Amino acid sequence: MSSECGVATTDARVESGSVRSGSVLVALVGPPNSGKSTLFNQLTGLRQKVANYPGVTVEKRLGHARLPDGREVGVVDLPGVHGFAARSLDERVAKDVLEGRAPDMPAPDGVILVVDSTRLEPQLMLVEPVLELGLPTLLVLNMTDELERRGGGVDADALAERLGVEVVRANARAGVGLDRIRAFLANVASGAVAAPVAAGGVGTADAAAHAATVEGSAAAADSMTAADSTTAANPVAASDAGVATSPSRPRRIELPVLDTYVDRRGRIRRIGQQARYTPPAPSWLTERLDAIFLHKVWGPLIFFVVVALVFQAIFAWAAPLMDGIEALVEVSGAWLSDRLPDNWFRSLLIDGVWMGVGSVIVFLPQILILFLFLGILEDSGYMARAAVIADRMMYKVGLQGRAFLPLLSGYACAVPAIMAARTVEDERDRLATIFVVPFMTCSARLPVYTLLIAAFIPDRPLLGPFFGARAATLLGLYLLGAVAAVGTAFLLKRTLLRGESTTFLMELPPYRLPTLRSLAIRLLDRARIFLRRVGRVILTVTVVLWALTQFPRVDGQAPEVDDSALGRIGHVIEPVIEPLGFDWRIGVGIISSLAAREVIVGTLGTIYGIEEATETSTELRDRLRRDLDMGSGIALMVFFAFALQCISTIAVARRETGGWKWPAIQWAYMLTLAVIGAFIANRIF
Amino acid sequence: MIAVEQAAHTSADSVENVGEFSHDADAPVLRLGEVPLRRTVELVRIDLPTDTMVPLLERGIVPGCRMCPLRQSPSGDPILLVDGVVLALRREMAECLRVRDIAPDAD
Ligand SMILES: Nc1nc2c(ncn2[C@@H]2O[C@H](COP(=O)(O)OP(=O)(O)OP(=O)(O)O)[C@@H](O)[C@H]2O)c(=O)[nH]1
Ligand SMILES: [Mg+2]
Repeated sequence: MSSECGVATTDARVESGSVRSGSVLVALVGPPNSGKSTLFNQLTGLRQKVANYPGVTVEKRLGHARLPDGREVGVVDLPGVHGFAARSLDERVAKDVLEGRAPDMPAPDGVILVVDSTRLEPQLMLVEPVLELGLPTLLVLNMTDELERRGGGVDADALAERLGVEVVRANARAGVGLDRIRAFLANVASGAVAAPVAAGGVGTADAAAHAATVEGSAAAADSMTAADSTTAANPVAASDAGVATSPSRPRRIELPVLDTYVDRRGRIRRIGQQARYTPPAPSWLTERLDAIFLHKVWGPLIFFVVVALVFQAIFAWAAPLMDGIEALVEVSGAWLSDRLPDNWFRSLLIDGVWMGVGSVIVFLPQILILFLFLGILEDSGYMARAAVIADRMMYKVGLQGRAFLPLLSGYACAVPAIMAARTVEDERDRLATIFVVPFMTCSARLPVYTLLIAAFIPDRPLLGPFFGARAATLLGLYLLGAVAAVGTAFLLKRTLLRGESTTFLMELPPYRLPTLRSLAIRLLDRARIFLRRVGRVILTVTVVLWALTQFPRVDGQAPEVDDSALGRIGHVIEPVIEPLGFDWRIGVGIISSLAAREVIVGTLGTIYGIEEATETSTELRDRLRRDLDMGSGIALMVFFAFALQCISTIAVARRETGGWKWPAIQWAYMLTLAVIGAFIANRIF
Repeated sequence: MIAVEQAAHTSADSVENVGEFSHDADAPVLRLGEVPLRRTVELVRIDLPTDTMVPLLERGIVPGCRMCPLRQSPSGDPILLVDGVVLALRREMAECLRVRDIAPDAD
């Protein structure tokens, strides 16, 4: 990437401009956790995921920013990178977009480099590689609120002069500095910003040429520094003077990589001094909290207590809300039922759809409590500490600590978690991570677990009133999934994916207070996703199931469910699942839940709804308790802990591994484990 | 601690001396793992293969920069303060980072 590339890209802008009907594209680049996605959301009004740990964004995301004059500019949010060595997949995504090699996106016309001003110097290591792209560039010094609060400071104008690019102080969270950022977008759109001249001798041979160009173009810098004779004319000349006696002196060749970075670091440090950068004092709160959360004894203990409380909350707090929704479903169903003529349509709507969909919607409060907790962990900065605590175990298993974040996000949903594995540098480690992620207890299992726990586990206090037998069972199921994941990773790393464990580096961001706004947005988004799934998958499945219960007709009437097409299918598979303690209804439920796990709840709701359309009680758990014993109930939970019952997960695993091989092995392995596990559980309990 | 915060650190001098540390070291060269908590040291050498070293270099952690072990994680791995960044790494890697005490008269 030399300056010719800059010219080429400027030309490309015209072309892509016509392709995208006059719209230009500006890319957000920067180190992880510097606030790129926060800024992206402010500019575009979208809701890209934001969290206080490095490596949240793993895929490019396009949005449009509306300028004050009504024009629209394309803005693309990229994964955070420290440099363009591109060792991991997410880094490659960022690099490809910047270099115009992303298949579905034109080359960007401008770059906004977002850095965290509270650790300015290391973050500026990215300046030179970004400038070398030769695109119009804006440097955003983000988080200036924290910088100032902790007594740091920087002279943005001096920095701009040194680097030869426009610099804006910003607080992306509060929207400070947005005006100037929009103005930059407008200038790029009108072609009014010149591409910068690369400021660094990063390559070795053409360093002198770079120096010459900067020398010529930085007249302003020259005139300023003329007064201050102790400062060199511009960053490149200054650094070259520091590194070598003359700019043309050849660099040492025995350590080329090291040398490049050492030189760059030296230049940045000088630039920092010239811009009068004062680093902020360390955050007092972060020091105190880390002393507790990373304490040998207190750290893990506190983690355990918090998790136990959350599981208790999932049962205790959610109960009134769930009862409310349950009552609502029941009352509205009865109300509708009274007003509809007694025909097939009423049967479909009330016995099929209402019971099926209603029995799943009830679990929304529990899912929201789980996401509230995950949101607080992510936004506060605790998650990065948890990764550090977990790393030693990951290391023993053979995975690197980076794999912890994907595993943890597997508690929400395996699909983004499998994508998050892109941050794992080593390819074998990434495959192993993708393989074991579906063992983590995703939120779709929660309705299944809580239904079965409510049906089969007595509500007994265990550790005082704060931790009951039900919460303990749930905790046990989560642990079971985690143990299976770890054990499988251990096996894989010794067989199919043998390889050394690589490095682990983790920046620990300062603790931040999660904002109510961000938590509310997370919950709303999650509620929407959940309801959409209920609306699509579960609705479809219940309609199909209902249809299967209507045939073959007996005297023009729907048959007994046992004799219907659905019942017959169920009875065919019953012998296979009988050793696990399941009856035919559960068998049908398991098959239908291949689409998505929570579908089994809807299926059971529909089957029982049709079977006993006359009964008033809609309590699914009472009917389950009547048909199954505790051993079968626990076996079913274990089955769901292990089996890969999710089409979306299989699809994303195929995409991320580039073929059917891994998802096929994964599916077969998990099913085997599920059947064996359920069989054993049924025997024991 | 305060010294670390002024953390600037690759003096032009030490940049000049990349790769030639041994002869001008007045303080003994230690492994980072041996440094007691809260003592600021200067990185003199990284004994790692290039591709393992790059993630450090990209973060501006190069010979000549100063670092200070802040605390240990529950599993005994070091957590450092480097250039205002709190960075966790594995003790295996810390063993490969060679550092030396900063001479008392430095700065
Ligand atoms: N105090 C403060 N916090 C901010 C500011 N901008 C962003 N944050 C917080 O910084 C954290 C990281 O923000 P993100 O937008 O997710 O960062 P990112 O650069 O997209 O991170 P990756 O996707 O991991 O590369 C979040 O906790 C934000 O709330 C700011 O200007 N001031
Ligand atoms: Mg992001």
